[in-house]
Amino acid sequence: MSTAMFGTLIVSVPLLMRGVWITLLLTASAAVLATAFGFVIASVQLFGGFALRALAEVYLYIVRGVPLLVLLFAMYYALPYAGINVDPMLGGALVIGLYFAAFMADVFRGAVLAVAQGQWEAGRSIGLRTPRIFSDIILPQAIRVTGPPYINTLVMLVKGTSLVSIIGLADVTFVGRQIVERTLAPFQIFGGVAFIYFVICFVLSRCGAYLERRTSYVH
Amino acid sequence: MCTDSSTSTAPIEIDIRSVSKWFGSNQVLKAVSTDVRRGEAVVIIGPSGSGKTTLLRCINLLEQFQDGEICIAGEAMGYQVDPVTRKRRRRSERDIAHMRAQVGMVFQSFNLFPHMSALKNVALGPVRVRGMPRQAAEELAASLLARVGLADKVDALPARLSGGQQQRVAIARALAMQPKAILFDEVTSALDPELVAEVLDVMRQLVQEGMTMVIVTHEMAFARAFANKVVFMADGQIVEHGAPAQLFGDPQTPRLQTFLKRFKEGYQL
Amino acid sequence: MPFDFTLIGRTVPVLAQGLYLTLALSALAIALSALWGLPVVLGLMSRFRAVTVGTRTYVEIVRNTPVLVQMYFIFFGSSIAGYPLSGFTAGLIALTLQNGAYIAEIYRAGIQSISKRQTEAGLAIGLTPGAAFRIVILPQALRKVLPPLANQGVVIIKDTALVATLSVAELTFQARLLADRTAAVYEIFLTLALFYIAITSAFAACMRLLEWRLRVVQ
Repeated sequence: MSTAMFGTLIVSVPLLMRGVWITLLLTASAAVLATAFGFVIASVQLFGGFALRALAEVYLYIVRGVPLLVLLFAMYYALPYAGINVDPMLGGALVIGLYFAAFMADVFRGAVLAVAQGQWEAGRSIGLRTPRIFSDIILPQAIRVTGPPYINTLVMLVKGTSLVSIIGLADVTFVGRQIVERTLAPFQIFGGVAFIYFVICFVLSRCGAYLERRTSYVH
Repeated sequence: MCTDSSTSTAPIEIDIRSVSKWFGSNQVLKAVSTDVRRGEAVVIIGPSGSGKTTLLRCINLLEQFQDGEICIAGEAMGYQVDPVTRKRRRRSERDIAHMRAQVGMVFQSFNLFPHMSALKNVALGPVRVRGMPRQAAEELAASLLARVGLADKVDALPARLSGGQQQRVAIARALAMQPKAILFDEVTSALDPELVAEVLDVMRQLVQEGMTMVIVTHEMAFARAFANKVVFMADGQIVEHGAPAQLFGDPQTPRLQTFLKRFKEGYQL
Repeated sequence: MPFDFTLIGRTVPVLAQGLYLTLALSALAIALSALWGLPVVLGLMSRFRAVTVGTRTYVEIVRNTPVLVQMYFIFFGSSIAGYPLSGFTAGLIALTLQNGAYIAEIYRAGIQSISKRQTEAGLAIGLTPGAAFRIVILPQALRKVLPPLANQGVVIIKDTALVATLSVAELTFQARLLADRTAAVYEIFLTLALFYIAITSAFAACMRLLEWRLRVVQ
């Protein structure tokens, strides 16, 4: 492996790192939003009244049926027209966060439903009420099975942040494409960009595996 | 309202009056009436699909029923009837939880909370429902676990216990609420044969201590030896009931005769 | 700016020009991904360690990198290498590589969910291992695989929007063009969203129908 082979990539590292910073910032803020809002949606689906549940279903239906890119475009074209000038970074984090909240909701709801029905019954049979059964018995067990699908969704979210490059946010994909247009070295640069995403996602998966070990009952 | 119309000395603890339940258009309980007196152990037997488990679950309000009344110590469980309109209304979640706390239940599949130690499983109800201080609740739990022969397993998680041990923890969990009665739903059916005895031993001990119990089971020998009353159900109805000696020794109805005969021949129904 | 419903009516014909490409790319990408998943799952479950390690490496790489970057890699890479691919083809290859890996995992889960005893029962009545797999395992696995496969198909349909960045004039590209030229932004993107919802819903409905046709009465 000569430096000539990776010359362009090596020279581009400082530039790419600026993009990495944007990607990480976007990932972190969107992940927090997706987790929090996903939890809210799942709670509504599980315990909400009819009207709230219907609202949640409509929301999920839209997000499941419309590409993330379309939602990003809609946001970036529509908001300025409405006279709202939103910081592109904030806007991107919002759209990505709200989009992946739908998938997080599936993860959380699935985890709660995966806890055996008998656990609810056992809680009821000693006279516990629904909120208490949920917090003391169901939730601790649900959290334990949430790990792997939660991390999978986070990995999807990391990959999804690459779409902001299309609407002009200077994330690592955007920087990569710019460098390629000037240097004509797509294999090196996009290979390097892909490697950066791989590292981020891989670290996430490792964290997930570690958490899973930590939360299992039998040590 | 539920009132005691009997002449026997012990008061009626559980009074089941003409309870009917439908799953859709399928009537699974057909105006079932029976009672359980304080300190009695009543065993319900019958083929699968006869409604015996459903009846048990109705007593603890895990199932809703559409007609009739179940009273625990004179208090109607789960529903109240409007004195004017005669309309039946399910009570509030708070009332129902309060009523459930007075009746213990032990399940076929144990349903222990897998993320809590045996001790915490037993202490949860006293702490969260009765508001007992944690220290006192855990002392109570430890003494109950000792009573079911698990003094050395207080800190074990359910996954580390055998089926028989788990079921004994479940019995301790029910006892911890100091219930007026305990319901046992085929508690030995999921156990390996060599573990059945340790659970039946604990139940026998409870019978002798005068705990009011309703037991759905296929353990005929246990029923015959320790029940005060045996109820035979089929097709959602009580077909025959009486003292075990009479029921097992001299069954009156053809259905019970067939049922017992098959059992003797070793068929599991 | 007031919302003008009549504009939706005028937007539809323009977007419909892009519909054909979106549908064609979706159909091809779904079919090719489902096919490509087969050799990949064989690789994942292979007896030869070198094959499993190689396949696993491929799967982990595509699953942990964005499909958009893969598209760029193939599109710009092919042109530098002297064999320029169209945006459509580059997109199709990237979508297939990415989703074939996910679909292989779906196949694997489906096969593994059928108990080993089913194979043993097949062998016990004298079937060869190959025949037992084909006659006993595959039909059962197929039914288990359909619901997650339908989900992955919806993911593919949505991801076809990414080829808009490679100047393929599909739905999203047309909508963006229209939005750049007119001021009817709300109407355009609402119509666009409805197009995608219609496509994904129709696809999901077809898959449910197929599932129902293949159901096992229990």
